[in-house]
Amino acid sequence: MSERAILTEGLSKSFGTQAAVAELNLQIQPGAVYGFLGRNGAGKTTTMRMLLGLVRPTKGSTRVLGHDPTREDELMRILERVAFVPQRKQLYPWATPAELVRMNKGYFPRWSDDAAARLAQRLEIPMKTAFRKLSIGNQSKVALLLALAQEAEVLILDEPSAGLDPVMVDEILRTLIEDHVSQGHTIFLSSHHLGEVEQICDWVGILEQGHLLLESRLEEIRQEFRLVIATGEGLSVASSSNVVSATTDGRFRRYVVAREADRFAAELRSQGAAILEITPLGLRELFLHLVRKEDSCTSGNAGAKREAVSSFS
Amino acid sequence: MLLHLNPSSGVPVYLQLEAQVKQAVAAGALRTGDALPSTRKLAAELRINPNTVARAYQDLERDGVTRSIPGGGTFVADGLPGLLKSEKVKRLRPHARQLAVEGRQLRLTREETLKLLEEELDRLGGQP
Repeated sequence: MSERAILTEGLSKSFGTQAAVAELNLQIQPGAVYGFLGRNGAGKTTTMRMLLGLVRPTKGSTRVLGHDPTREDELMRILERVAFVPQRKQLYPWATPAELVRMNKGYFPRWSDDAAARLAQRLEIPMKTAFRKLSIGNQSKVALLLALAQEAEVLILDEPSAGLDPVMVDEILRTLIEDHVSQGHTIFLSSHHLGEVEQICDWVGILEQGHLLLESRLEEIRQEFRLVIATGEGLSVASSSNVVSATTDGRFRRYVVAREADRFAAELRSQGAAILEITPLGLRELFLHLVRKEDSCTSGNAGAKREAVSSFS
Repeated sequence: MLLHLNPSSGVPVYLQLEAQVKQAVAAGALRTGDALPSTRKLAAELRINPNTVARAYQDLERDGVTRSIPGGGTFVADGLPGLLKSEKVKRLRPHARQLAVEGRQLRLTREETLKLLEEELDRLGGQP
C-alpha cells in the first residue's frame, strides 16, 4: 500500500454554525511540496491544526503518516515525525533561542545540532537574547529553526515567510530545498506569497471558505490551464466540465479552463462567439480568478465547480 | 553556468531551463563534455523544486543535448547523435511557424522576416 504522507477524507470542522472546513479531501504524496493557498479565513490554519490534533474535527477522518491524530496514542507517533510551525509563535518568553534549542532537542529522536547551528547562522538569529525581546521576524525565525532542526519527515508550515525580509525568505527557501526537499521530506505549507510557492512547490491546493476549489500539479497548471476570453451573444455559461471558473466583465466573458482549451474555444466559436485570447495563467492570476468575487453579475460563478478539479495521473 | 528564471512568465520552469541550456550549447558557451551542475545543486541555487531540474535534464537527454552517466553527472553531448534529419525538422517546425505568424501579424515582409532569422544565425557564429 502506498501510504500518503497526509490524507483527509470528508474532513470538516464547524465552529457553532460557521463551517470553517467542509468535506476536505487531501491526498499528499510523500516527498511532495504542497502549497496550500487561500484567502485569510479560508480554513488553512484550522486544517493544519486538525492534522496535529490541536483541533478536533466535527466530521471526517485524517491520517498523517498513516496515524490518526484524534487518537492520543497515535498522535504521539505523529508528533515525533512531523514538525509544525504555527502562525502564532508561542514559546517561553524568558528563554533565549539557545535555551529553547536545549529544551526542544530532547523530544525529537532525529534532531540535528548541525542543522540548528547552520540555521542560527544563516538566519542571523541572536541566540542569547530572551525570546520576548526579539523582533517579530526573529521570533518567526526561532520557530522555524526549532522545527527544521527536527529533521522531520513531514513539515507543516503555516505561512513560514510572513514578516520576513526578502533575504531571509530566500535563505529559508534555500534551506527547505537543500536540507528537506532533497531528502524527500514532505512539505505542506500555506503562504500568501505565490511567487515563492511557484518556485518550490510541485503541488497546489486552493481553499476557499473551507472548500477545496482546486488541486493540481503545478506543472499541469502551467501546461494545461488557460484563460479564454470570449465575446458574443448568449454564450453558454459553461458546458464543459473543464471550465473551472467563468466570469462576466461587460461584454466579455472570461473562462478559466483546466484542459483542452482549444477544444473549448472551438465549441464557443461554433456558438457564434469571437475568441479574443487564449493565454496561460500564472499562479497569481489563477488564484485571483478563482477566489475573487468582484463581479456580482456572474450569477454565482455559474461555471465554477465546487468540488476540486482533481488531477492525479 | 549562469541560468536564471522568470517564475511568473507562464512558461514552465523546466522549459525555461531547457531553452537556456540549448541556447548556451548553440552559442558555444557550453561545449561537448562540459558538466552541468547536479540536480540538487542547481535546484538549491535557483531555489526551485529538484523535480523541476530533473525533468529538464531528462528532456535534454532525450533530445540528445546532454548525456548522463549513472551516479556521475550530466554532460553536454557531442552533437545530436541518432536524431534523423526529418526528426530535427519536425521539432523545429512549430518555431518556424510561430516566426512566420508573428512576422505576418507585424506586417513585416517575407525578406525582413528571413533577414532577422539570418541575423540570429550569424550571431551564433560558426557554421556546422
